[in-house]
Amino acid sequence: MNKRLITLIVNGDRHELAVAPTRTLNQVIRDDLRLTGTKRGCTSGSCGVCTVNDEGGRAILSCITLAVEWDGRSITTVEGVAEDGKLQDLQQAFLELGAVQCGVCTPGLIMSARSLLIRKPDADERAINEALAGAICRCTGHIKVKKAVARAVQVIADREREHGTQG
Amino acid sequence: MHLPSFEYLKPDSVAAAVRMLGEADGRAAILAGGTDLMASMGQRLSKPERLISIRDLPELQGVTLLADGSVRIAAGTTLTDVVDHDGLAARLPMFHKAVRSVASVHVRNMATLGGNLALPTRCWYTNQTETWRNARAGCFKTDVEQCHVLASSHRCVATSSADTVPALIALNASITAVSRRGERKIPLADFYRDDGAVPTILDKDELITSIQVPGFTGRSVFLKVTPREGIDFGLGNIAVLVSGPNERPAVVRIIVNSLGPHPMRLRAAEAALLEQGLADQGIDMAMKVARQDLGEVTNLWTPAGYKRRLVRTLLRRALVELRETEVGGR
Amino acid sequence: MARRAELSVVGKSQPRLDGFDKLSGRSVFTDDVYLPGMLHGRVLRSERAHARIANIDTSAAGKVPGVKLILTRQDAPDFSIGMHQPLFDDTVRFIGQEIAAIAAVEEEAAFEAASLVQVDYEPLPLVTALADALAPGAPQLHASAAGNVAWENAESHGDVDKAFAESELVVKGEYASNASHNCYAEFHAAVADFTRADRLTLWTPSQSAVLFQESMAEAFGLSVSDVRMMTLNTGGAFTGRGSARPHHYLSALLSRHSRRPVKVRAYSDEEFLMGRAGGRAEYKFRTGVTKDGFIKVIDADMTFDSGAYIEQQSLVTYLTASYLHWLFRVDAIRYHGRVVYTNNMPYWFHHGGGIAQMQFAWGRHIDEVADALSMDPVDLMLQNAVKKGHRTMTGVHFASCGLKQCIRKAARQAGWKRKRGKLPIGKGIGIGLSAMASGAKGRFVHDASAAFIKVAEDGSVTLATGIPDMGQGSHTTMAIIAAEVLGITPGDITIIAGDTDITPFDVGAFSQRGTFNTGNAVKNAAQDARKQLAKKAAADLGVKPSALVFRDHQIYPKGEPEQAIPFAKLVYGLLHSMEGRVVMGRGFYNSPAKRGSMAYSFGAQVAEVTVDRETGFVTVDRVVAAHDLGRAINPQAVEGQIDGQVFSGMSQVLYEEMLLEDGQPLNPSRLEYKLPRSFEVPDIEHILVETVDPHGPFGAKEVGEGPIVATMAAIANAVADALGEPVTEIPVSPWRVLRAVSRQDD
Repeated sequence: MNKRLITLIVNGDRHELAVAPTRTLNQVIRDDLRLTGTKRGCTSGSCGVCTVNDEGGRAILSCITLAVEWDGRSITTVEGVAEDGKLQDLQQAFLELGAVQCGVCTPGLIMSARSLLIRKPDADERAINEALAGAICRCTGHIKVKKAVARAVQVIADREREHGTQG
Repeated sequence: MHLPSFEYLKPDSVAAAVRMLGEADGRAAILAGGTDLMASMGQRLSKPERLISIRDLPELQGVTLLADGSVRIAAGTTLTDVVDHDGLAARLPMFHKAVRSVASVHVRNMATLGGNLALPTRCWYTNQTETWRNARAGCFKTDVEQCHVLASSHRCVATSSADTVPALIALNASITAVSRRGERKIPLADFYRDDGAVPTILDKDELITSIQVPGFTGRSVFLKVTPREGIDFGLGNIAVLVSGPNERPAVVRIIVNSLGPHPMRLRAAEAALLEQGLADQGIDMAMKVARQDLGEVTNLWTPAGYKRRLVRTLLRRALVELRETEVGGR
Repeated sequence: MARRAELSVVGKSQPRLDGFDKLSGRSVFTDDVYLPGMLHGRVLRSERAHARIANIDTSAAGKVPGVKLILTRQDAPDFSIGMHQPLFDDTVRFIGQEIAAIAAVEEEAAFEAASLVQVDYEPLPLVTALADALAPGAPQLHASAAGNVAWENAESHGDVDKAFAESELVVKGEYASNASHNCYAEFHAAVADFTRADRLTLWTPSQSAVLFQESMAEAFGLSVSDVRMMTLNTGGAFTGRGSARPHHYLSALLSRHSRRPVKVRAYSDEEFLMGRAGGRAEYKFRTGVTKDGFIKVIDADMTFDSGAYIEQQSLVTYLTASYLHWLFRVDAIRYHGRVVYTNNMPYWFHHGGGIAQMQFAWGRHIDEVADALSMDPVDLMLQNAVKKGHRTMTGVHFASCGLKQCIRKAARQAGWKRKRGKLPIGKGIGIGLSAMASGAKGRFVHDASAAFIKVAEDGSVTLATGIPDMGQGSHTTMAIIAAEVLGITPGDITIIAGDTDITPFDVGAFSQRGTFNTGNAVKNAAQDARKQLAKKAAADLGVKPSALVFRDHQIYPKGEPEQAIPFAKLVYGLLHSMEGRVVMGRGFYNSPAKRGSMAYSFGAQVAEVTVDRETGFVTVDRVVAAHDLGRAINPQAVEGQIDGQVFSGMSQVLYEEMLLEDGQPLNPSRLEYKLPRSFEVPDIEHILVETVDPHGPFGAKEVGEGPIVATMAAIANAVADALGEPVTEIPVSPWRVLRAVSRQDD
């Protein structure tokens, strides 16, 4: 089985990699690029800890995505969310509201929620539930996680409104 | 999970994809969203020699709302793109709800409509890792002549669980399939077979390219029962379409899925409603005769008896909901 | 004991100190560890539930490029895991049992090699159901266990016969819970580095580095200090990660033989094959009461399916026996419990080590006792509940106890009186209780924790602790305790943990002992450091050390804040002086309890549910959770614990079941083993009852296990109330509900 040379842009960095077609995006991110923030869970698409975002901000299950299918494309992982070493609104909300416990599911939840904030900034409770239902959490019972996402929706909406009136 | 090795092919057109599929002589699989295929390959339930990647083919993307009220959806359109398409929810609300109920957002971001229609059937004796399956004898799906679910069965009764299927059958949808032999249009109602191991009539060298949904006037409802919302395959799902007034409907179509190896049309129940309308009497009669059209009701996470009861509940709730939407509803 | 108003940081919500790392993907878990030259291990597992292994042929497997090592029975040293389990046995007794281990340069190669190993099995008769295992003439799984009973515990306290004779009514009940799995977010994993024959380093999620050190040292002939446990971050434990398992030994063995680090990780269904959180358990209760509702005697009989092997599972027969003494004042208690072998995967413990599931059963039984007496369960509970100062027949003493307060508050906030018995059909309300130890006396003769504190000249503090943080927030809690004593803020503290070469001894995070025991050790360490600082400040200010206040980064005589010396300045001054003192604090705590713990938490929860009588689905609408935790050191973390446990309790009562057929799990995945998610979240209200325990650090007791225990009973009782039918088995799956509804309709 021959390896293929692919280009993958991860968090804005361009990588040229030789990968076997059988390699998943999750394996390449973690084993080859050593970005271990994205976790490896069920490896079959049902637990969500492997979630990354594509260029459109969609939540993508990296464990069931072939790396070769992503040649020339761009993804964001949890390592690429904080800016200048500072937590973003969503991460800040998780921290302040106590939505992090053991931390294994946290990257997957952050990327799932980030996708929601990008694609449905006016998300209601149903949309929040929908965005998170693909990801598992065993410690928090999802309670504070949902509150944190709702808080982030609010904070971002408030900021947009502010800038709107000032703009 | 480690995938079995395969040759990766990336055609630059539908014609090229069809040619590759033909050349592979049944040993290739289409890689669209891959959400089911990857899991299946990881378990080594599928071991195609070649994967033909079609996700980036522009000819296979897009939803078109036509002036005659119909809708055309290219088979490689992701379910999220179908859900988000401006105007689709208004034109086909029941179908929109069905698409939105598939798996999770994460899966819908990659899975395609064509993939959902061609979704392999599921059974907990086969949707397992290779080592799991090695612990017991095979079955019809793995080329051994027996069924672990129903010992008396002469064919595979694994469950057909795609959510978009009952909705599209109720809407009289058809699909276009292309092979080296040419193109054919197949009514979705004729697409499925009563065999969990070979659940569709799609030839091994055929590719689904588009889905056509004719316009309709009437009301429709889609319901899905799941252990958990937003992630699971259904324990049962139902699509009901009615046109005409409650007392005397002109058209009734009732399709259920996730109960057996193929979607089932409940014609006896439809007949009861055509005759008696959607009043309580008609609904009771429909519930009573619904079982006549149920084929083999199989288990996946539930006892079969539970599923038979579930159908009647689903039917009643769908009909009651439809009845309430008589005035100006869709 | 300080009053709440006097405390500066204890009692204030503190976001977790490792939050930044966890939220930005910087936290390292075992699967994130990559060492130079590391090999990938793969464990070959039995495909038969009961068989003799006639032959293992590894020749084809050995030819796969990159395979460095294949170990089978002849390579295993002669050590046992638990009572009857050699590492590789020539008889396999469950599907999933370890029979070989492979190490290869690439993970794919290890997988491929595993698939090429040929195993010849000679099948033996299976016995997988509890009743079948106990039936006369059943196949014997272990020669040493007659009738497949692996362990038995029988206890009797008080005069049981007399108490029954004096009872005016005897109520009986039988209940069952089924096989479940912990399903942590972090799959089982271990990285072992045994490159040097005299030193083993092991990375793995764990509740107790000490217990692992012991097991590994004994197995490999090392002394305990030659085993370095790296428990950086543990992705959930829920009582299931308290001891070394076969995959730990295997990773170490592979590493020792190959002289390279080796990573072993569970993949897909493998998690469900290695072990279970619990097997089927059957509970029988017989309770004697007076007509006016005083409980005189409890007679409990329990049987636990422990699977094919037993290592620590005997514990469940002691934990569940003890639990019977913690809720009510009674005259006598009799207990008989047994652990049974079956050809299923072993039982690795779940929440409360069996207590959570048991409380479902006992909580249902108490509800039925109340019903038999035509009494409101709340009244029955209040009438019999233990109080502060109570001493059980087992010698356990409750120096603080808020059980009645919890019952009253939860019931009132939930609107119990106006709802119970008055809800429309399909709706129900139920109550459940809990009591939990905050300590692990009995596992060892001690229950020791130690801590170190370093104070740097810039006023920043480093705290070294041996307790792991599995998500419960223990490290942040320790920082709050130390900060309170030193008058600084938790953010000033850096935690050093997760490396036994550096951290001091700590028995670990099980039996809910962390906040209480480690907390006391940390408090003592902080006080040791504070004493050194106080001596200097007292001299500088011309007052007695006892007159000093440490608060808001300042030290000043009580009532004279204008005299304050900044904390950093004081430290600096101590070092940069003729004395040249480096401030370090040392703390140690060993619980003086003879067994169990010095302090017990208590709780009461009221749950409201809606039952769909047509589909059988149950929705939990609301849970009011009252918990006597002594003192909430970090309210936000406490709420998080309560939330997570209530949700988990709901999950176990309504959703979770490992469905097994002939020893094989039918639903071994996160998709088919149903754990509820975001849509299924109920409304949860927290009532924190602070009884300020005299022995706990700042009065704190546990909150790590008590809540789920109460939830199990509360939700089960609410469903029974909604159905108007007994609920005797969990999970209360939709078809069990429909069966109950059908019984009613007939």
